Amino acid sequence: MIVFQQVEKHYGDFHVLKGIDLRIAQGEVVVVVGPSGSGKSTLLRCVNRLEAITSGDLTVGGVDVTDKKTDINKLRREIGMVFQHFNLYPHLKVIDNITLAPVKALGVPKPQAAETARMYLEKVGIADKADAFPSQLSGGQQQRVAIARALAMKPKIMLFDEPTSALDPEMVGEVLDVMKTLAREGMTMVVVTHEMGFAREAADRVVFMNKGQIVEIAPPKEFFEQPKEERARLFLKRVLRH
Amino acid sequence: MPDVSIFTDHFGIYMKGFGNTIWASVIALLGSFALGTIIAVFRISSVKPLRWIGTGYVEFVRNIPLLLVVFVFYYGLPSLGVTLSGFVCGTVGLMVYTASFVAEAIRAGIMSVPSGQSEAARASGLTYMQTMRHVVLPQAIRIVIPPLSNQFINLVKNSSVLSVFAGFDLMYYGDQVAGKTYATFDTYIFVAALYLVLTLPLSFAALKLERKLAKNG
Repeated sequence: MIVFQQVEKHYGDFHVLKGIDLRIAQGEVVVVVGPSGSGKSTLLRCVNRLEAITSGDLTVGGVDVTDKKTDINKLRREIGMVFQHFNLYPHLKVIDNITLAPVKALGVPKPQAAETARMYLEKVGIADKADAFPSQLSGGQQQRVAIARALAMKPKIMLFDEPTSALDPEMVGEVLDVMKTLAREGMTMVVVTHEMGFAREAADRVVFMNKGQIVEIAPPKEFFEQPKEERARLFLKRVLRH
Repeated sequence: MPDVSIFTDHFGIYMKGFGNTIWASVIALLGSFALGTIIAVFRISSVKPLRWIGTGYVEFVRNIPLLLVVFVFYYGLPSLGVTLSGFVCGTVGLMVYTASFVAEAIRAGIMSVPSGQSEAARASGLTYMQTMRHVVLPQAIRIVIPPLSNQFINLVKNSSVLSVFAGFDLMYYGDQVAGKTYATFDTYIFVAALYLVLTLPLSFAALKLERKLAKNG
């Protein structure tokens, strides 16, 4: 579904991604972990070309992401994305946040889009907030709206960029629960997170990155119990100690 | 105390000018808002030629006097075989000139919208224009209202440039009345009062709009 082959990315002199090789299958849940600045978010943002790669090959569902001829908007409609800071549109009600892209990008009639939106709001457990503005919601609720907004496009892939990092600790669970449900339903997911509990429970594979490279890829049980690489062991020792 | 009879005796002339000033202002205001928005979007576009056009426009137009901008239309176009009236040249010149300031105000507003907003919109498959139209500009406009209302108040006052080109605006007829009555000071007091009739409500409306939008934050 997503294939990285020898992907390199530079920001000026800074070499952010180095020789990335990664194949993610349909329905797979891949959790990307690693220290700050290791390139996790950049890796994720390359998938829908929020960041352009410098060299190498990157395809999503067989479509070349880097090709100038690729209709990037069409490709992006099939890739949902959830951000660390939610990025809900503050001037629009929750329901309009969710229907905007289906109506404008897919041409779904408004009433039908609203119906779909309500269904997804129900799914993420906040059906009663449809007519609220984002600023009236808690962080956890906002992030669930953001997930509903991404799902309303009926994407084939969902990208999560540290979805719980900006949340109060007591709100983390409600967002992770929604993500676990999605994972169980067979959504293809790439999740950058520091939530090791989620990785352990929901991931099919864990990707550990350090300094722009993929250091280790392993099923969660193996990764958490007997990591092969020294750097991964050190990382786990630090994050799992508390 | 100014001589009120100057106003009452020439009421029709004053009103003719007043009407034309309103017309010129409304047309230039709407035009400069539309043009300025387009130029602002050009200026921050990722397409280099568009950015050059936008930047070139703003830096060129806003750095020459308004009077000279209107000169281009009034004296420049006839050499290309197009002759337009003073009113049209003045209004178009005013529009073109104000658009450069409007563009800068709108650009600053757009830049103040967090980048995550357009990222979220683009990631959902909306085009650049749709993102601007539905996500970025509606948020930018709140920030833009105070500087924009300044520009529009300036525009109303700057419309007096029409008088130089026989544009039949308020200032033009003011000159006529002053020339006839020799009561220069009294004549222009009423001209000033009529400009205030236009600009003060504009100021208040901007303030009100600002408050209203702030409430729906």
